[in-house]
Amino acid sequence: MRLKQMKGYQVAGWVLVLGLMVLLQPISDSVNMDRLVLGLRSPTPVTKLIEFDPTAITGVIAGAILGGFRDIAASMLWFKTQEYWDSGQGASLKSLNLMRTVTLLDPHWLEPWRITGWHLCYNLYVETEDPAQRAEFLRLGINALKEGISWNPDRYDLYMELGWTFFDKVKDFPEAAKWLGAAIQFEHPEYIERLIAHGWERLPDMPKALDWYDYCIKRDPSDGTAHGATLTIRERYMWAWRFMEEKKYDAAIDEINEALAMAPNSSLALHMKGHIYEAAGKYEQALDVWDLAAKNAALDFHARTKVAQISRILGREVPEYASDIYIEREKAKERKAAGATGPAVPAKQDF
Amino acid sequence: MTSRNILADVYWFIIMVILAGLIWFAFSSDRMQAVYIAWGIIGLALLIPLARNFPTYFFGRLMPPIWRVARATFHEAWRRRFLNGILVFALLIILSSWVLAYLQPGAELKMLIDIGLGATRFFGLLIAIFLGTRLIADEIERRTIHTLLAKPVTRAQFLFGKFLGGYATVFANMLVMAITFYIVFAIKAPQFKNIDPESGATAYHMDFMYANIAKALGLAFCETAVLVALAVTASTVFSWIFAAIFSFFIYFVGQMSDFFRQLSDPDRGASAVAQVLLGTIYRVLPHFEIFDIREAILRDQVVPWEVLTKHGLQGLMYVVVIMLIGYLCFNEREV
Repeated sequence: MRLKQMKGYQVAGWVLVLGLMVLLQPISDSVNMDRLVLGLRSPTPVTKLIEFDPTAITGVIAGAILGGFRDIAASMLWFKTQEYWDSGQGASLKSLNLMRTVTLLDPHWLEPWRITGWHLCYNLYVETEDPAQRAEFLRLGINALKEGISWNPDRYDLYMELGWTFFDKVKDFPEAAKWLGAAIQFEHPEYIERLIAHGWERLPDMPKALDWYDYCIKRDPSDGTAHGATLTIRERYMWAWRFMEEKKYDAAIDEINEALAMAPNSSLALHMKGHIYEAAGKYEQALDVWDLAAKNAALDFHARTKVAQISRILGREVPEYASDIYIEREKAKERKAAGATGPAVPAKQDF
Repeated sequence: MTSRNILADVYWFIIMVILAGLIWFAFSSDRMQAVYIAWGIIGLALLIPLARNFPTYFFGRLMPPIWRVARATFHEAWRRRFLNGILVFALLIILSSWVLAYLQPGAELKMLIDIGLGATRFFGLLIAIFLGTRLIADEIERRTIHTLLAKPVTRAQFLFGKFLGGYATVFANMLVMAITFYIVFAIKAPQFKNIDPESGATAYHMDFMYANIAKALGLAFCETAVLVALAVTASTVFSWIFAAIFSFFIYFVGQMSDFFRQLSDPDRGASAVAQVLLGTIYRVLPHFEIFDIREAILRDQVVPWEVLTKHGLQGLMYVVVIMLIGYLCFNEREV
């Protein structure tokens, strides 16, 4: 009799457990929704991964298991990467893997993202002479920064870092302007707007550069850099730009030659001249000018990329540069995503 | 055990569920209110038989044995040396954040929070599991449980007393750690507020940080309550060492419960079997990740009290369910 009572009681107890667990579900769903709205949900990294390498997957799983302790694990591993730097192994692959793990363990910590991107695009980049491998490091670094942005879309830091990488390393100025433009949507230091202006100036796109410098001056009338740049552009390059827009290419070249007479090695003037020749459809002359600009400044990767792109149009042997390879690969991906077929012939507006 | 005693135990659980339900009702969204109204009505209907004699029953018969077991457990727990060792070690680590923060230039504030909050939670976890799993095991090992259960103490009262005493010990330990962390944070944090001299931008905002850290510590207390319940329940079934391993396992798998939800999502191509299996695992596992609001601290965003209370109530529900399971297992166990 007693045994029977106990059994019935046990059954009732387990039914109560089940009932409570069912009642728990709406509470759990509601809490989950609140956490989603407030951005408190634990990271769901798989959805944000761009590079599905083994290190990333390990980092994701380790992070998920560690839960609330992931941040302290990330801090400890970050100390280890510093040890690698101090012992001269900073540029090694194991250091990179460790950095990548840290980024995924604590994805809202900006420093590891920034350092990982920089490590790939700058340190590992110079470890090899092979342009294709360099382009691969650029791609990995840029993807790391993009991944970082997807975790931290409301902070300027990584937009700025990515914009700077495009500006300084890839020399893809429109892309740089895009990311730097995103950075200024959030609380940011003042120099970013000037950087955007510099980007358009280097491309060159003088009206856009002037717009940004004007903005800088309106914001801070004592901004000496913006004042100086505005004067230079208006005095030396705007006439040439206007002639070019009116399709008076010879007059534009004359104007820019005057600027070059004052400063023969000015990369800005050379870029401008190359751009005018391209607009005029004179690719042979454009190639010569971009080639001169490339030889003039060792770090003028933009000019080198232009040499490669125009050589391709002219059907000449294309010298390979990392940034050109990177940009071409990205364009090919975009074309593929847009469903375009046929050979990848660069259109004029690409330049 | 008499059927009268069993009935008393059941009422005790029901009271806890109803209390949780009624408090929850006050905070629930419109969409959810119908569910909780129904829940409240059922609960009140169950309470009616008890209503007349409830105060006498509750304060005169139900609580005193629980209170006595809890008090004895609390005093005994403080005499455990391993516990004192963990506390001292935790305090040393928390205090070391004073210096360790400088090892990460530019991220000092983050380091301060990571070490302080992380150590409080981690050592709280250790104490909760190692103490929780030993509470009943030691009584069985020393055979003192026979003396206790021979007195007018039901198994439920014994179990709850052990849980409350164990949790009071963990709470007291964590409170010491939390206060130490808070003092270190209050002194050091203002020095690290503006640490980005290059940009001039404020590296971290601190408008809500102090309140958020207090809230995070509050949630850590909720988390350890669930862990103590889990450890006590596990120890009613397994040996203490296996119960400790089991508790750690459930804790770490519970941290990644959201993964199971993602994997069971049909939109991601989960098969029907995977949907049922992984969906059930997701529903059954305690979601320990909800007790972590570190993101809100670092982003300095407001965590409304309403949301925080919901988190706490979900924790309370976990405790109720886990302790009920523990009671059902303990009731069947030969001691």
